[in-house]
Parts: sequence; C-alpha cells; structure tokens
Amino acid sequence: MEGLFFNVNNGFLEGIVRGYKAGILTQSHYASLTQCETLEDLKTQLSATDYGNFLANEASLTTTIISDRATQLLVDQFNFLRSNAVEPLSKFLDYITYSYMIDNVVLLITGTLHERDTHELLERCHPLGVFESMPALCVATNVEELYQSVLVETPLAPYFRNCLSAADLDDLNIEIIRSTIYKAYLEDFYEFVGTLGSPTSDVMRTILAFEADRRTINITINSFGTELTKEQRAKLFPAIGRLFPDGNNALAKADDIEQVRLVCENIPEYRSFFDNSPGDAQDLGDLGIAAQLEDRFFRTEVRLNKEAFLQQFQYGVFYSYVKLKEQEIRNLTWIAECIAQDARDRINDYIPIF
Amino acid sequence: MASHTSFKDRNLIAVIGDEDSITGLLLAGIGHINEQLKKNFLVVDSKTQVSTIEAAFQEFTERKDVAILLINQHIAEKIRPTVDRYQQAFPTLLEIPSKDHPYDPAKDSVLKRVQKLFGE
Amino acid sequence: MSGSGPRENVFATRMALTNMKLRLKGAETGHSLLAKKRDALMTRFRAILRKVDEAKRKMGRVMQLASFSMAEVTYTTGDISYLVQEQAKLATFRVKATQENVSGVLLPAFEVDRTPGSDFNLTGLGRGGQQVQRAKEVYAKALETLVELASLQTAFTILDEVIRATNRRVNAIEHVIIPRLDNTIKYIVSELDEMDREEFFRLKKVQGKKKRDAAIAAEKRASLEKAAKKAAAKAVKITQSEPATDLLSTKDEDVIF
Repeated sequence: MEGLFFNVNNGFLEGIVRGYKAGILTQSHYASLTQCETLEDLKTQLSATDYGNFLANEASLTTTIISDRATQLLVDQFNFLRSNAVEPLSKFLDYITYSYMIDNVVLLITGTLHERDTHELLERCHPLGVFESMPALCVATNVEELYQSVLVETPLAPYFRNCLSAADLDDLNIEIIRSTIYKAYLEDFYEFVGTLGSPTSDVMRTILAFEADRRTINITINSFGTELTKEQRAKLFPAIGRLFPDGNNALAKADDIEQVRLVCENIPEYRSFFDNSPGDAQDLGDLGIAAQLEDRFFRTEVRLNKEAFLQQFQYGVFYSYVKLKEQEIRNLTWIAECIAQDARDRINDYIPIF
Repeated sequence: MASHTSFKDRNLIAVIGDEDSITGLLLAGIGHINEQLKKNFLVVDSKTQVSTIEAAFQEFTERKDVAILLINQHIAEKIRPTVDRYQQAFPTLLEIPSKDHPYDPAKDSVLKRVQKLFGE
Repeated sequence: MSGSGPRENVFATRMALTNMKLRLKGAETGHSLLAKKRDALMTRFRAILRKVDEAKRKMGRVMQLASFSMAEVTYTTGDISYLVQEQAKLATFRVKATQENVSGVLLPAFEVDRTPGSDFNLTGLGRGGQQVQRAKEVYAKALETLVELASLQTAFTILDEVIRATNRRVNAIEHVIIPRLDNTIKYIVSELDEMDREEFFRLKKVQGKKKRDAAIAAEKRASLEKAAKKAAAKAVKITQSEPATDLLSTKDEDVIF
C-alpha cells in the first residue's frame, strides 16, 4: 500500500536523491585522486567529477577549505531536498539535522560556560545543524538562560527537558551532556521511524540500531580509565540497538576491551569488529584495536547505508545519502590531508563507497 | 646573571599557532589559564591581526612563568623582524612547523645564526 | 720618544716599572686562561650546534607525525578544537629547569614534568575517543622533542653570548691591554735610560767644572806662593835678627798644629 502512494509526494525527491547518489565518487575517482601530488592536482581531478568547480574561487587551498566547501555542497543539496519535502518526509529530514544541532548546541553550551562571546561560535557550527533561532541562543549570558532558550527555541527541547536540568549543564562534563542528549535523540528518532511504517522503519531501524550499538561500544571503550563511573556509563547507552538490553548491561560492567569483545561475539555481524587479521595488528595493543575498530565501524556504516539504496519507496535513502556524502567528505579531507602532509603510505586508508 | 635567578619559576610552555597545532598541544596538556584568566596560547587564523600576534609575542616573552615559547613558523614569518630581534635566553623561542607549512630550516632565526657562525 | 702607542699614565719610576711588569704577567696569564676557556666553550658550542641542527630537523618529522594524528582525530571525531581550547585549565605538561656547569657557565636544561591529568579523557566519548588519546600521546612525544630542542637552543643562545664575551675579553687583552702594558714598560725603560744619560752628562759637567775650578785654584795658589816667597825673601832681609821668637809666639792661621 505504501508503495502505491509513495511517489505522489516523494517520487520526485527520491529521484533527485538517487541522482545525487550517482554523483558519489567511485573507486576509479579515488584511484586518480590518490595519485595527486599537490592539492592543486586534487582540485583539477575533482573538477572532472560532480564536484565541478567548487574550489574555483579559492586563492589558497588548504584541507580545511576543501572540506568546508564540500560540506557546503552537501548542505545546499540537503536544503533543496528539505524545501521540497512535505510531511512526513520533511519531519524525517528535520530529524537528520538534529544530530548536527546537538553538536552545535553543545558547542554553544561550552562557550557560555566559559563566558565567551558565543556569536563567533556560530561560524563554527555545522551548517546542517543551523536553525533559524540559533542566534537567539547566543543572547544567553549564563547557563540557566541558555537552558531556558534551548527549551523554547530549539527542536531539541524534549531531549533537554527529559534528561537534564539547568544545573546539570554546569556540573557535568560536556561530553556526558552530549552523549546524554544524543542517546535521547537516537531513541526518539528510532521511535519516529517506527511510526512511518515499513519499509522505511525496517531500513532505518537497522541503521539506527547500528548507530546506537556503535555509540554504546565506543562509550564503553573510551570510558576505560576515566572518571566516568559505571553507573554514569550505563546511563549514556541508548536503549535501542541489537546489543540492547543484554549486551548493554554486560558492557556497562566491562572493564577491558576483552570483555567488550566477548559481548560483541553474541552478534554475528559484530564479530568481525574485533578480528585481528594476523598480518597487520600484532602489537597494536588496546589503543590500536580500538583505532581499527573505529575504521570498521565506518565501513559497516557505509555498507548499511549502501544497502538502504536497494529498497525503493522509503525514506532511508535520504538519511543514507547524507551519511554517505559525509563519509565521502571525510575521505576527501583525508586524502587531501595525506597529500598536504606527505603521508602517502596512509593515503589509501579512506573508506571506498562505491 | 640576572636571568638565572628567576628561571626556576618558569615551567610553562606557551604557544602561538594555528588551530590544529594548538589543539594538539593542548591535548598533550600544556594549556594553562592563570588567576588573571590569561591563557598561555593564542590561536591565529587568517583573520588575526599582526598587531595581535605582536602583542601576544610581547606578553609571552615578558611573562615570568613561561619557559618555552612555541610559535608556528608561518606565523613567525608575519612578525619576522620582532622574532629576529629577540635574543633573550628566556623564554626559549622555538619555531615549529605547522600542518600546512612544512618546516623550512632556512627561515629559522636561530638556524640562520647557526649558519652564519659556520659560514664565518 | 719610544712607545708611540697608547700607554698607561704613570711616572717613569722603577716602582712603576715593577708594577707594570707584574701587571703584564697577570694579563698574559689571564689571556691564556681565557683562551683555554674559550676553546672549551667552543668545543661544547660546536657539539650543541650540531645537535641543534639535528634536533631541528627531527622536530620537522615529529611535528608532521603529530599533525597527522590530529588529522586522524578530525577524521573520526570532527572538529574538537574549540572544546579543547575551552577545557584547558591547568597545565599538566610542564617543564622543569635544571642547570649544568660548563667551564663556569651555567647552562639551563629543561626537563619534561608531566603530571597525569584527566583533562580530555572524555573528549570524543561517543566517537573517536581512542584517536584523541592517541593524538594526545603523539603530541606529548613531540613536545618532549621540542623541550629537548628548547634546552639545546637556550644553551646555544647562552653559550653564544658567553663565547662572544669571552672572545671580546681575549681580544681586548691580546690587542689592547698587553700592547698597552708593553708600551708603558718600554716607555718607562726608555725614560729611565734617558734619565740615566742625563745624570751621566750632568755628572760629567760637574766634574768638568770641578776640574776647571781646581785648576784655577791651583794657579792662584801657585801665584800666591810665588808672591809669598818674594815677600818672605824681603822680610828675611829686614827682620833677620828675631824671626824665631816671632814664629813661635804668634799664631799662624795656616798652621793647624
């Protein structure tokens, strides 16, 4: 039934986004990009792709500029989609922006906590997470005020209201605040895609479940040896995902990376995360394993997002496109960084998408 | 020598640098904000005025608790005359490379002196 | 006059000469001592120079590694610079200065003084925390190199200064003080010689005059004696009867006993 009417409202945009997707760099593009000697070369190579002349007006090339401009392209595309969308797709797209919004608000909180002029922070905010009333948040001079304006002005209000009080903003480490809100966001998003019904919910729930698990595992590993207590840790785990609830409980008690591995063994797809290929990682130690882990998470994320495109008549493609494009920007930045810093041996560590 | 009397109190490392260098160095733990809320680092981006850099340079070189002053070479270039004129032993001035500007020994004011000494 | 160069402003006396000779000796000892010090410092200086050069190049590599690890952080975590800047409060990475004595010159050496801190432990909690920790370590290592370089460079600056001062002194002694003392000594010697000659000449003159005076006196006496003889001859003729009693009774001025 869904499929019948999907195209009435969303066919155009799905077409657009699939068109955009065709513009994502392929393996052969990457092959030529990694051959570049200088950033100028990179620019020339990129002009032959869908990126076109996006760097034409830049006097001096730096990796930061490249990533900023590439992000801007993505933002433009996204805004186009967003302005053409109708309910419930528009709401779905809004949800995508919330995760960036969280980062931005957290940034503003940091600024306010240290009594900085938060206006200059606005340019540091991720453009996808910018919302109209954001400058209003800058008016706040103390955390209490900021908390109130967040409640009034932003779509993040429910997350803040349910999880934190104004006093918490003052006391808790900013990273804990961020994780708490993000957890609330993920759970809410998960809930929301459920209301959209199949097949959107199927596709999105797989992706979000993975995202939640990834956070859970990351938080566990990263909290080893820090002042974060196990109870606090457990509170930051999103209550969704394939590890939930048993895995989460076990992870909340984990003390070292080995225990994390054991928990992940229970999920067939996650087993490979901790596989040490005999060749490259003999003496990496815990830090090395974790670093590799991040890489594997990225790869899995890409794979899941790619799979989202296999299904028609659902919203997952929009989310996936943004995420894939984000990964592509990371890849570009990475390659640019390797070229700029002359670290050719690492240049192939990007994560190919297609 | 007069400067020796105070060098025991010098234990901070100050930085003038671009965002990436500063972030890295702060991660390593050199960041310090004293009672007067003075930082021991200055982030320089393309919009930073040369006069601001000069002022920070003066401040850091005059502070009594700074042992080493790190400055990105490309930023040192902007205030080269001041840097070249700087001859004090404390704080020690070190020009460091940055991400986008690899290190060029020919520009370093200390290495220039080294070269001159060997050249003579 | 000999010693046309600059000289000390002294009276040319034997006392001054002895003093000058002592001072010259002192200056020569000082010169050789300072020259030795300079040589010792120079050896040290060259060693440091080589190390500075090496360390500077090493720093290039180390910093590159460090900024690359920062790129890894940005890749996984995103931009954390602002958070990091705002969270910095107390330095956990400090340096400690110690001293080393090289030929009487105190060279400072910095040592890393790291207190374990938990400042950025939670940075990247949700994503990329491990990369952040790694970048932290890499940067700490890089900083160690920088600190080492800083000590070398401070030593370089101070040694440079001291060597210059020593050189100045050595040169001053060699080219100013010693020639000056030499000149003074020469001057005193020549002055004393001159005085000797003058004295000799004066003595000669005195002698000549004395001789002349003596000759005149002798002549006078001779003529007086002649006259006396004549007069006596006349007197003998006049008072020949009683000269003996007269001679004994009257006191003659020329006869002492």
